[in-house]
Amino acid sequence: MPYLSQAERDYITEGVQSDLRADGRGRLDYRALVLETGIISQANGSARVRLGDGTDVLVGVKVEIDQVEPDADNVGKVVCNVECSPSASQQFEGHGADDLNNELTQALQRVLGGPQCGINFEKLCIIKGQQCWIVYIDAMILDYSGNVLDTIFMATKAALFNTRIPKTQIQDLGDGEFEFEVLDDVEDAERLDGIENIPIGVTLNKIGTGHIIDASPLEELCTEAKLTIAVNKDSQICGIQKGAEGGIEPGLMSEMIQTAKRIGQSLIQQLDQKLQDEEQQVDEKRLNGENIEKLGFFAMV
Amino acid sequence: MDRKRVNGPELSVVPVEEHTEEKQILDSKERRLDGRGIDDIRPIFMKSGLISQANGSTYMEFGNAKVVCAVYGPRQMKKPSFTGKGVLNCEIKFATFSCKKRRAFQRDAQEKEFSQILVQALTPAVRLDLLPKSSIDVYVNVLENDGTSSTLAAAISAASVALADAGIEMYDQVAASSIAYVQNKILMDPSALEEESEDGSLVVSYMPSLNEITHILQNGNTESAIANKAVEQCIDACSKIYSVMSTVLLQSLDTSDK
Repeated sequence: MPYLSQAERDYITEGVQSDLRADGRGRLDYRALVLETGIISQANGSARVRLGDGTDVLVGVKVEIDQVEPDADNVGKVVCNVECSPSASQQFEGHGADDLNNELTQALQRVLGGPQCGINFEKLCIIKGQQCWIVYIDAMILDYSGNVLDTIFMATKAALFNTRIPKTQIQDLGDGEFEFEVLDDVEDAERLDGIENIPIGVTLNKIGTGHIIDASPLEELCTEAKLTIAVNKDSQICGIQKGAEGGIEPGLMSEMIQTAKRIGQSLIQQLDQKLQDEEQQVDEKRLNGENIEKLGFFAMV
Repeated sequence: MDRKRVNGPELSVVPVEEHTEEKQILDSKERRLDGRGIDDIRPIFMKSGLISQANGSTYMEFGNAKVVCAVYGPRQMKKPSFTGKGVLNCEIKFATFSCKKRRAFQRDAQEKEFSQILVQALTPAVRLDLLPKSSIDVYVNVLENDGTSSTLAAAISAASVALADAGIEMYDQVAASSIAYVQNKILMDPSALEEESEDGSLVVSYMPSLNEITHILQNGNTESAIANKAVEQCIDACSKIYSVMSTVLLQSLDTSDK
């Protein structure tokens, strides 16, 4: 864990106070990000987000068929996992990232595992009481430069937009017995139902008396408390979680929630627009028989 | 037909399922199953100093939820290393028989997360700057779980009292309370049964004298107006729980004088 000297701490705290940060941003400015979907051919959906000059998150979505849970036999489910790759930071080596992995996994699972996720879980069920699709969302942190949780949420939304689930054909064998077949045709694969409702997370870091979004690693070190708020496109709140080891006054907290809602809305709008644009471009190229070039991993623009 | 095996009868019928009536969480007068109103919290029992070996301890009952908390320390860190501030370690463990489904002996992902939440909720209150090079260990054992979010809230409140009982300097006590969102209503301090039909939940831990929220965890989607109202209700409940916690601490001082 890198240490921060008192002078550095004061520099950042006073900068936040006067709405100017070390990299020239204001309190509520996001860094530029690079987003690309469909970069892993083995996965049902994938996306990579690189935020600023550092944080790099890769999300792969795999769907698998499994037995339904006995107490919820008409729904499928979403299972999330986050892993910090040891290549990203020395401190992630061995068991060093266990706590962080667990915190991020639970935060993602809490938002995406329930009805607030927006995905129609009933459509994931293939045969009631028997089989369903399980959507495995695996996020990998390849490089670390602050604000990972927001980046994971964004990459996950993009990867789920990119995900296609194979079509199934159900045959009625009579006597209430059914059998199904998975159709191999890629063209037949369907998008998940309700992806437009998937929330994203906005993390606000409280430094001094101000709060900032999209903190850099040094800013994260002097964060007293952080608040991650998940919002969806209808500006509903889909989850709140406090992190770091400080307190927040109730008045400041409701102010932070309002800020997060506003920023989340504009982020979702821009993200959806970009995802649609990208898909349109890829479809056009495919129709014209052109080669689809991807930026690939670790690329910066 | 397979003659080597004992085959089932040729004719069989679908078993008759008894039609179970869905239990209503709220009756017409907005009374809950256990007779509480929607804003009422369950009765609390708390006693500190019951574990003889620990520096500080609490036993807490919150309705049917039962939580034991023991605090050891401040003591030298297990791995000697220099830290300017003390380190607060928290471990929460659900007993294998505490929940509807049996829990494993090994700590699972939820228990690890709750441990982390406990650290985040208590750290703002503890004066770790006075305890360099030392660690405080907080062990919470859940004997019975009656609503996961209210049990987490009970664990936070109990741990706070146990820390004070251990004589560790703190800015304030941390009280925690929970609510459940059920059909656009806010149910205070939900039990396990009510939690089954919840749309979402909220746990808030709060320091009443400092007016500071030390942790917040919300699950499920709501309009922000409802969320704001829920936070306010939790803060009110925290103040009520706070008075119980203070009384318990005062009582423990009375008995230790004798």
